[in-house]
Amino acid sequence: MAKRIALKDHVSVDSVDLSNFARAVEFTSEHERIDVSGFNATGANEYLAGQTEQSVSVEFFGSYGTGEVHATLYPIHKDREVVAFEWRPDQTAPVSATNPQLEGNVQLLTYSPSVTRGEEEAWTAEFVAADPAGLTYTTTP
Amino acid sequence: MTNTTYEVTGSTPFLGHQPGETFDAELAPDVERRALERGSIKKTTAKKKEDGDG
Repeated sequence: MAKRIALKDHVSVDSVDLSNFARAVEFTSEHERIDVSGFNATGANEYLAGQTEQSVSVEFFGSYGTGEVHATLYPIHKDREVVAFEWRPDQTAPVSATNPQLEGNVQLLTYSPSVTRGEEEAWTAEFVAADPAGLTYTTTP
Repeated sequence: MTNTTYEVTGSTPFLGHQPGETFDAELAPDVERRALERGSIKKTTAKKKEDGDG
């Protein structure tokens, strides 16, 4: 499989395509590490995978037009809504095994736009998985 | 199941439809409510534009 430069990614929140307002995505899925070590001859630790914590962070450009970043994200945060999230590498191609889509229902627990004088407005929103289905990669449309 | 016809009114694509396009869908009530409130879409009685029109 070829290496890629991230240029054409698809990012959607609550069915709104915010791809052109996003420039970075970072997905994290982590199982809690539970130490179940007992006395043993080697002294090595033993772990089991515990509960799963999932989140996806997106760096957005601040934008305040109709249906853009603020209009989409702030009501979701303010009203504690659970919404659909999607991210896949290539927005010009359908979901497939080589263009897998991360998707799931998420909440935006923190809304924290920030700006610096003279610089582009860009800030990171962290979405957390909101139901037991979690955030998963799908390979079929 | 009853589909409703919507027009994408915001500046961002919605459900894969470009601004200005009309589409038929049966949206979940919460998705529809938020989309209407933010101005992403509006309900319309206009005929759905087919691919290649215009």
